Amino acid sequence: MTRNFSAWPIYALLGILSAPLAIMYLFLVIDTFTNAPPGSLIPNEFTFHHWRFLWDPTVTGDVWGPTLTTFLFATSMVVIVLAISSTAGYAISRLNLPFRRFFLSGIMVMHAFPSVTLIIGVFLVLQYAGLYNTLIGVILVKASLMLPFGVWIMKGFYDQVPWEIEMAGVQDGASRFTVWRRLILPQVTPGLLSLGIFAFIDGWSEFMLPRILAPSANFQVLSTYLNVVSDPNSTTYNFNLFKSVGLYYTLPILVLFVVFQNRLMNIFGGGTKG
Amino acid sequence: MRTRTSLLGLAFVSPALALLFAFFLMPVVLTTVFAFTNMSTSTGITGGSHVITGNLLRDLGNAGVDDDIVAALSEGSFSVTPETLAAAAEAGVEPRFLGEIESSLMGQSFEDARSFESALKALPSRPTRIRDLKLATEPFERSILNTRYSSRAAMETAIASMVPDAPVDTVSAIAEASYTGWRWIDGGNFQTLLDRPETIRIVLNTVFYVAATLAFNVFVGLFLAITTFYLPKTGAGFFSVLWLLPRITPVVLYAVMWKWFTWDNGFLYVIAEQLGLPAFNYMKGSVPTAWATIILVNGFVGASFGMILFSGALRAIPVQQLWASEVDGASRWQQIRRIILPQLRWPILFVTSYQTLSLLSSYEQIWLTTNGGPGSTTTVWALEAFNTALNNYTGNLEYGMGAAMALILVAVGLILSILYLRMFRFDELVNKPRIEF
Repeated sequence: MTRNFSAWPIYALLGILSAPLAIMYLFLVIDTFTNAPPGSLIPNEFTFHHWRFLWDPTVTGDVWGPTLTTFLFATSMVVIVLAISSTAGYAISRLNLPFRRFFLSGIMVMHAFPSVTLIIGVFLVLQYAGLYNTLIGVILVKASLMLPFGVWIMKGFYDQVPWEIEMAGVQDGASRFTVWRRLILPQVTPGLLSLGIFAFIDGWSEFMLPRILAPSANFQVLSTYLNVVSDPNSTTYNFNLFKSVGLYYTLPILVLFVVFQNRLMNIFGGGTKG
Repeated sequence: MRTRTSLLGLAFVSPALALLFAFFLMPVVLTTVFAFTNMSTSTGITGGSHVITGNLLRDLGNAGVDDDIVAALSEGSFSVTPETLAAAAEAGVEPRFLGEIESSLMGQSFEDARSFESALKALPSRPTRIRDLKLATEPFERSILNTRYSSRAAMETAIASMVPDAPVDTVSAIAEASYTGWRWIDGGNFQTLLDRPETIRIVLNTVFYVAATLAFNVFVGLFLAITTFYLPKTGAGFFSVLWLLPRITPVVLYAVMWKWFTWDNGFLYVIAEQLGLPAFNYMKGSVPTAWATIILVNGFVGASFGMILFSGALRAIPVQQLWASEVDGASRWQQIRRIILPQLRWPILFVTSYQTLSLLSSYEQIWLTTNGGPGSTTTVWALEAFNTALNNYTGNLEYGMGAAMALILVAVGLILSILYLRMFRFDELVNKPRIEF
């Protein structure tokens, strides 16, 4: 296309519109390494002081325990979501099931359905099941709420695999399970990878469910940890410290995002956040 | 062709079915059921028991129950029975003394502590200290007040034994009123919602919040998609990554960043101070700035959703159409207006409907930023339901009321999502399996 327009007014408009974001993310990084004099935003001092929470537990409490729990939480999410979505997705994409249509439309409705409205019901289910205030309960709930999305995505990937591969396998005498395990699953590895990364990021970021379903539990994840630490109503509030803890918490996600950006873009279109 | 059910298929979907049943279907059912109860922290979530408390007696008296019955229920009495003797033995009353009580006072009742004590004083092996004597009387006290009965029948028997001449329907009414667990109140929660003056305010807040944020999301999403479509790759890439960041940033950190941006001594505060503009806590200090904050907080997350979908749809437009229009001398604006926007009709409709639903039910960002404040000026329906049921500081969580509020959202969510499925052609997504075993 020809450039029959000048680009700078558009850059200016975009710049003004994006300014809050740019400023917030720029200062998110700058503020963790610097100090600024009171009443000013321009830093005048370089320091590692705000990162001392990593080795000094007196600042904000132990940060490594929550980190480990968060990792466990996110990894369990990945395992459960991948295991169940890859099988259920295959079943509704390729296998004969009673009520297959009904199940498929049910998955679609649940995918579009805003699951946060169920939180009161989920709370009661966990109370009755005795899983309230436990890590297992929170993981199960989080993974289940992600399932409609996971099954839907995996079904999409299975739909792309040519039937001929499957027919060839069946012709050669393999069972449907072997066909799935040996022939089809390798074809959908990109889907599994994208879904896995997405589940990891989603689990790592989750705040509501641990906060509501395990408020007095003996474990903390980084999101609830950060929420407790970063209370601006506390007398000694220090945004530089809050941002350092926050940046530490978010760093793994940012790395994953940068590395797998293109894969995630495909999946974000059907994302779960509004 | 005859189709057979695949056993492998059943095995493959059953784990998903089990989890979806437990954490989607059951919550919907429980929300629906408990919306019609008065369940709260004080009633507990399982069953309750039957207890008559002082407060209940006062209420009963006010409600017209005979004063004599109320007085009789509030009094305690002392009686020597095999049960009270056993209780006394358990409480550590001396066995010899107990033996004497059993032999001389068995089956007797005393109206008050004084007469029982004087009867005990007549016994030879009574405790010498008056305090021990008083302690020894305690297990013999029979009072209906503050005693827990596990069933209604037990409560009725107990009332009848205290007040033998009370009419049966009064006894059963008192027993009914003494239940501490949750009960069915039919549409009581919804009636309360209708009667509350705040309800209309919350509804208006919700409508305003959804409409304003949606408008921001769709227009900014469109603007971003179209501008990045025309800009050279590096510039476009920078802006689309910048706008994607809020989507992947964990919500707690995102809220902290907005707090820094709008709080006392935060970014805007310092800038405003230097420019001589009014500087205060914009997130919580005034109603218009609080609204602006939560709309922007949600809008900056939501705009990228539109941006991604619209960019995808833009790339699908055959580029020849744009070339042809340029040959005919169309300006960029004419291209956008006549070629691009008409072809983005479906994506725009999709983003609008999808985000209406998710904004209607989302409250995470509002909770973490303004939390509905100042006062309850920025409280939306979903946040209010959540606060009622799971997060209030008075300590009495009203699960029933919260469930009733959530039920309205669940119903709206279900209806809208089914509607969207019909609108966006679900049928084309289902194709039949081609291997029939």
